[in-house]
Amino acid sequence: MSAFVLMFFATLFSLALHRTFVFKPFVLLMIVLSGFLIFLKTPVLMYGFAQSSATNLFLLVIFIALLAFTLSEDKEINITQSLFIGAASVLLLRGTTLLTFVFSFEAVSIISFAVVGHIRSSIQADGAVKMFISGALATALIVLGLALFTFGGGNFNLSLSNIHFNALMEVGLWVMLAGIFYKLTIVPMHSWAADSYANIKPSSAALLSGIAKSVVFVAVLKLFEPFFIQTLHVSIFILIVLSVLTMTLGNILAMFQKRVGKMLAYSSIAQAGYMLMVFIAVKDSYAQIGLLYLAIAYVFMQTALYLLLDNIGGGISDITLDDVKGLVKKDRLVSLFFAIQIFSLAGVPLLAGFMGKAIATYAVVDAGYWIVALIALLNSTFSIGYYGWFIKNIYFDHSVKQSRVISVSTSAKIAQIILLGGTLFFGIFAFAVFHTSFCSL
Amino acid sequence: MIYLLTIFLPMLLAGYIYLFTRRIGGAKYIALALFVALFIEAWLTYTNLLPSGYTMLGSYLDVKRFDFVLTLQVDRFSVIMLLLVSVLLIFVTLTSWSVKHQSAYFSLLIFFAGPIFGLFMSTNLLWFFIFWELTLIPIYFLIGIWGDKQRIFAAMKFFIYTHLASMLMLLAFFLLYKQSTTFDMTQIKEGALTTPALIWWLLFIAFAIKMPLFPFHTWLPIAHVEAPAPVSSLLAGVLLKMGAYGMIRLVVLMLPHQAQKYDYIILILGLATLFYAAFMALYTTHIKKMVAYSSISHMGLVAIAISALSFSGLSSALFEMIGHALIISILFVIAGIFHEKTGSWQMGDMGGIMQKAPYLATLFVIGGLAALGLPSTIGFIGELSVLISAIMAHGVWLAVIAAASLLSAGYFIWAFRRVIYGKQSKVVALTNFAIHPVVFGALAIFAILVIAFGIFPQFLFSGIDRAFDTYHLLGGLA
Repeated sequence: MSAFVLMFFATLFSLALHRTFVFKPFVLLMIVLSGFLIFLKTPVLMYGFAQSSATNLFLLVIFIALLAFTLSEDKEINITQSLFIGAASVLLLRGTTLLTFVFSFEAVSIISFAVVGHIRSSIQADGAVKMFISGALATALIVLGLALFTFGGGNFNLSLSNIHFNALMEVGLWVMLAGIFYKLTIVPMHSWAADSYANIKPSSAALLSGIAKSVVFVAVLKLFEPFFIQTLHVSIFILIVLSVLTMTLGNILAMFQKRVGKMLAYSSIAQAGYMLMVFIAVKDSYAQIGLLYLAIAYVFMQTALYLLLDNIGGGISDITLDDVKGLVKKDRLVSLFFAIQIFSLAGVPLLAGFMGKAIATYAVVDAGYWIVALIALLNSTFSIGYYGWFIKNIYFDHSVKQSRVISVSTSAKIAQIILLGGTLFFGIFAFAVFHTSFCSL
Repeated sequence: MIYLLTIFLPMLLAGYIYLFTRRIGGAKYIALALFVALFIEAWLTYTNLLPSGYTMLGSYLDVKRFDFVLTLQVDRFSVIMLLLVSVLLIFVTLTSWSVKHQSAYFSLLIFFAGPIFGLFMSTNLLWFFIFWELTLIPIYFLIGIWGDKQRIFAAMKFFIYTHLASMLMLLAFFLLYKQSTTFDMTQIKEGALTTPALIWWLLFIAFAIKMPLFPFHTWLPIAHVEAPAPVSSLLAGVLLKMGAYGMIRLVVLMLPHQAQKYDYIILILGLATLFYAAFMALYTTHIKKMVAYSSISHMGLVAIAISALSFSGLSSALFEMIGHALIISILFVIAGIFHEKTGSWQMGDMGGIMQKAPYLATLFVIGGLAALGLPSTIGFIGELSVLISAIMAHGVWLAVIAAASLLSAGYFIWAFRRVIYGKQSKVVALTNFAIHPVVFGALAIFAILVIAFGIFPQFLFSGIDRAFDTYHLLGGLA
């Protein structure tokens, strides 16, 4: 837990360092130190928390992404908040009981409201308010679910493994999952995300959709796995329908977007569909590795893309596809970053996104649902429609005069190189993930 | 280790060339040197092959849990493909000698060389898929950036359609892994599979899209027409051959029982492709479209040869693949030059080119005559051997294939009449057909090969025949 403590105090202390030149070096140092503590596997000395090699790897990935975020972001308050999200992620990923989950989940949620709170235009206000209202609804559902579960089970600090679920507990958990699905942007709880991710400052969207969402996904699978396995006869149908709907709707709607932010938001919803699909195979031995891989890949690519969007637009949230036309003639390197991360999202091999998708899909095939896997793969073909179109705008088109794209700073490029390194590393060296497991150390 | 470098070094080199040689130039020389080196490597591999079966080249990046191992093994069939690919890459480099944006163009070609070599060397299906999919990326950019007016539509359609094929293939590979717990194509036993028919169909459709067979061919004509001419020859010479390679290696040799059960499907689609594309070629007045359809028509012949499921069928399929690659490359590049010089695609606007550019026109005529199967060219040997093996396998009625040969004679000779001979058109009269000597040299060498292999086919057959002699399959394949 030392990583959490360090990150938490770094968050508080960094507030005092705002507008001084030591701020960024301090934050970078703290992130590196926390990552180092995770790497050293310092013991967890708290009830209700445990570490495993898989969560440790994922936390390292999160910290690398935060490092890149810090290098790329210019608003100090956002950086401070990102540190807090890092701290909360440690708790969320290591929690083993329902209470610790709800507690840390809310910590991530509440700080994410703060992240979107810096409103500079009416369009950003729209995104922030939608996110807040849906988030409040989600919290209400989660607390209601926790109450029902506690009433049914008689104890509110239960881990979900090795217990028998009675009807009330099951209902409670499903209500809770409905709330969680808001955060995970599962159809039909997705519509806020399309507007919020697209309208808030893109770097905030990078934090929320790239980092927070993947953390929640991994935490949900880790915690709810016994529940899904025990109630598989019911949950399988719910999960199949929701995941297929989510990926299909996300991909279809992404195709019609003119704003890059919104296209990425819908693509993020579609990716949530792929991640939820892994839950179908929850009994399969590849499910956990598949979701972990997908989440790791997702952290790198989604964070990188939203950060790039923030960089080329100088923080405005309505960069359109027309703005990026002919970007390659202005900056070859930035275009290359865009292209590789987009290809990773599209599932082009030797990039992390492909391996994530491949293992996740294999888990579903292995569990016997090859039709669902086929739907996911066809969806992936679908998604080429808009990913390819985006690349086409960057590479094949001539630039337009009124483009609002500005040049990208060196530190932001370094941040992109870090994220690109992650995408490439996990695309080629699969053993890094395969050697981990979710068993407690 | 050298083989691992063969795959990954071009990809790294491509990034370097793209970012750092824009101002200093020289990308084409690096590309040429690399491809010549690759040819030499492929040749050395060929001469050092074991007399039968696979020759192990190395095994890397082992992840046991998912059998994610880069196993590099080659047999005669795959090394012949490597030789063909490297020759075509050299040809494409030479015929693109004065292309625009050289650092980007040649870095994409160099990038392409890595995965295409990986594809033919890897026997691990997961890596096979990875390389298969990676080859799409450079072609997508090559069509999208250097293509003609409708390049964007063509590039997008190419990318989406072929990605669809890849996805079906990936699902089939996953089912194979689930049922046989290995991704190694040399280890998979058809008898151990629980749903071989499903896997066969997925693989068949995937490769039928890539080859392409009617009715899955619609991505290709537009891609061929819009792509720059050298890239068209890369498409026809390499990408379509990937489909045929997969069809032979995975659909027929890996799943022989299913292939025998459904061989009539391959045959029917092959015949449909052969005739449909021939009629389309006859119908069109667009010179490159005509070449494109004639290319598709020849892939129909390859499919028919494969459907024979016999030793002679596979050998003639491979021979036809090589012949097709050589012939169609010449035709595409010259059709591209005619368009570039006259500004028109319509054969009606051309006419009498022979008087203005006799050497170029002669090469075009040689290519066309070879494509229609004139004796003493490689095309004749290819068509004849396909015809014989098909009749041996399916009966005398397959002599109808000869009718397609007549059709191709029809459209090529008519094309000669309209483009090469006849009255000189106004457009041609005003055009200067001078081309870079390097481009002409590459075309001439290919034309010489087309005739040389037509007169001495034994030189090719001696290698090709041994490519399949180690397989002991059903249906008299021994």
